Amino acid sequence: MAVTLELDDIQGLVARGYGTLLAASFVLLRVEQPAAARAWAGTLAGEVATAEPGRRSEVVQVAFTESGLRRLGLPEPTLAGFPDEFTGGMTAAHRRRILGDEGESAPEQWRWGGPANPVDAVLLLYAEDGAGLDRLADRLAGPDALAAAGLAEVGRLATSPLVGTEPFGFRDGISQPLLAELASPSTGERTVRAGEFVLGYPNEYGLRTGSPTAEDPGGVLPRADGAGQRSSGDLGRNGSYLVMRQLSQDVEGFWRFVDQASGPSDPDAGTRLAAKMVGRWPNGTPLAVSPEGPVRELAEANDFGYAADDAAGLRCPAGAHIRRANPRDVLDPLAGPECSVTFTNRHRLLRRGRTYAESGADGGERGIHFICLGANIARQFEFVQHTWLNDPKFAAMYDDTDPLVTTRQGGAGRTFTVQARPVRQRVTGLPNFVMVRGGAYFFLPGRRALRYLAQLPNPADPARRTP
Amino acid sequence: MPHQLALTIRARIRPGQADAVERLLASMADPASGRGIPFERLGTTHFARLFVLQEVEEARDGKAGPVIPASLVYMSDVDAPVWRHLLGLVRTGGERLDAVLSHCEGWPSRATTWQRVAWLRARTVRADTVYVNTVGRSVAQVHDERRLRDAIEEFLDGKQADWLGADPVQVHGAVRRFVAARHDLRWALRPAPPPGLAFRLRSTLAKVGWPLLALLAAPLLLVVLPVWAVLLRRQERREVPDEPRLPDRQRLRRLAALEDHVVQNPFTAVGFAKQGRLRRLTMLAVLRVVDYGTRHIFNRGTLTGVQSIHFARWVAIDDRRRLIFASSYDGSLESYMDEFIDKVAWGLNAVFSNGAGYPRTRWLLWGGASDEQAFKAYLRNRQVPTHVWYSAYDDLSTRNLENNAAIRAGLTGAEAPSRAEAEAWLARL
Repeated sequence: MAVTLELDDIQGLVARGYGTLLAASFVLLRVEQPAAARAWAGTLAGEVATAEPGRRSEVVQVAFTESGLRRLGLPEPTLAGFPDEFTGGMTAAHRRRILGDEGESAPEQWRWGGPANPVDAVLLLYAEDGAGLDRLADRLAGPDALAAAGLAEVGRLATSPLVGTEPFGFRDGISQPLLAELASPSTGERTVRAGEFVLGYPNEYGLRTGSPTAEDPGGVLPRADGAGQRSSGDLGRNGSYLVMRQLSQDVEGFWRFVDQASGPSDPDAGTRLAAKMVGRWPNGTPLAVSPEGPVRELAEANDFGYAADDAAGLRCPAGAHIRRANPRDVLDPLAGPECSVTFTNRHRLLRRGRTYAESGADGGERGIHFICLGANIARQFEFVQHTWLNDPKFAAMYDDTDPLVTTRQGGAGRTFTVQARPVRQRVTGLPNFVMVRGGAYFFLPGRRALRYLAQLPNPADPARRTP
Repeated sequence: MPHQLALTIRARIRPGQADAVERLLASMADPASGRGIPFERLGTTHFARLFVLQEVEEARDGKAGPVIPASLVYMSDVDAPVWRHLLGLVRTGGERLDAVLSHCEGWPSRATTWQRVAWLRARTVRADTVYVNTVGRSVAQVHDERRLRDAIEEFLDGKQADWLGADPVQVHGAVRRFVAARHDLRWALRPAPPPGLAFRLRSTLAKVGWPLLALLAAPLLLVVLPVWAVLLRRQERREVPDEPRLPDRQRLRRLAALEDHVVQNPFTAVGFAKQGRLRRLTMLAVLRVVDYGTRHIFNRGTLTGVQSIHFARWVAIDDRRRLIFASSYDGSLESYMDEFIDKVAWGLNAVFSNGAGYPRTRWLLWGGASDEQAFKAYLRNRQVPTHVWYSAYDDLSTRNLENNAAIRAGLTGAEAPSRAEAEAWLARL
């Protein structure tokens, strides 16, 4: 079944991570004057890069939280068409429990997106270099530009130039789902349907994810399917959900711990244990392919599985980070490798994050602005975080959580097991290496949806029912 | 070890008091309130729950129908015998149980223990279908085997350097000697006793008897089944599924507030059966068949590939007009539903398609739950908040339980294991 994506309506981040644009920054915004902000959304419709092919030297993308859409003037019935995760937000009581945002990672402590500093929108800016980024940022997010757009800045997230390595020192961004409708894989790797990452197209169940509809007498939006008002437009079509979380990383703490836990006498043992925790050697070589040591040629290797040669986890531990985030063909040993891949493909994340490093008197904080896209936040991002990364019962284990990223509370989940013959090696007392500093769920609209937002009537308009 | 039984008790709530009962149940869930029933003192209770079925009006042919009054439901999964659990419940529950049940019609507040037990007994409802993950594994066995594993892990942790490069058979022997030397663990060297003889005899009879009956009835079935299938298909085309909308936000949040506090979760749902004799009969027949499957085929760890359920049951109530489904499972509801949709959509369809509003099926087994979003919405819309829920081992998953049992079983052999066996056993630790 050939599915054609409307590339000219989808924002470009769905199709590519703009890896050639090394400089990026993310501007977090509040809507102060809805009318001006609506007009601004309209101008952005012409400004945002789309998923169409073609090189660009600068890229703009925009996404809104539920509060942002509400302040722009989307009426209640339309907002009710968004899924509960998006509407309730990342900081809702149940959600912080399943994401592990408690203790020092609780939203009350956040720098943005928490109850004290909510966010309505984010402007993602990409350029070839720092100078280009500054020009772009001045033009679109300088004080005058924001004032004219009726927006206030909540924060500006700078990023480090893209080098392909994350702060702990490991190669990152190797594994990304290949979208069936966009990529032509040279390897045997199975593709994932685009409908998993953009609304309006068949997902891995062969069905279309529910999409919010809106009253659209002007016909700006694509038509909504099914019985209903003839003036019903599909607001979600060609849009996606963007999950953003600022994760600070305790790099010194991590290396100190692995050195200590593996025995201070052997300097390589620390790196070995760290690699066991991640699932790849620092240069990117997957442990499942080369358990003895890193191999330069395999640094980007991603077409591998665990079922055939490493079902027991003797090469790449069953609880290693990359094996948790993407269990590939070993998710369900009873069901078998083929079924496992089918199931795993229903929980893939399209990652678009960038690292950051703040210069500070005490060494400066380092971390990742984690970003991922998906059409179904509950089945993708939340599922991976809760059921694979944070779950101490993952892979039939007892008390092991993701050694790298889980924000553990109390005494639970602080074990990391390295499967071995004859007897496993157990590391206990794992501290937290990651802290959540901010986060929100955004909606990345299609271009027509942006134009629709621009022509929304004022909520105080007597022609409309007040929400 | 005793086998496990599903106890369901349903009592009508006095008119107008259903909301008060729900509030009371909600407060009981808070350990600080001091109102919760101390289930842990009943050493044979695996899981227990209390929930309210609100008053509901049954629609008949699109018009308003009879009103079914609100009721309180108590469910527990216990080691046999049931009377011991009931007696313990009344004795241990005491005033706190009284506080809840006094809202029910006819509850004898000033009565002897035995009178209360009789009252509860009189309101017992038989479950149509019961699933037990592993028949014969008692609460005591779960706790004991957990202690065993913890001790062995600690023992292995204590000498991590010693094990490098060792012979697995030697390591197994060392662990065995360690266990034998501990008087509080020595029991592990004997295998877990199976359920009682009477139970096993009854089970074998049923396991063999039902298929024999089906075989005898085969000529009749061969005629009836195709007719039934065609009639059902015609019915399917006429039925109207729910609009695929999610329950309102408030309801979802109320439900979510009760979930994911520990690694296990309860799920409780109630729905009306579709109208008509054909649907009613289909539902009862399917429940019988599934019950046979759960009792005699899927009684050792997996339910057609789904391993994460501890206990589950279906109970038809109100003259078979409504069906309650209740389970205790590992992980989040999202992953639970995903697992079912991915692996057993046909099974879900067979049972739940007899419920009013279910996503459209074809030939009973196809369609239905394969519509991922419609199915999830259907379940959420029928979910009942399980305010009071008790688990005797809320930090152990089904695979943990199975693993613990296998660790114990690996110690009980008279001879030393082979190298491969020793390696496989050590991999469990």
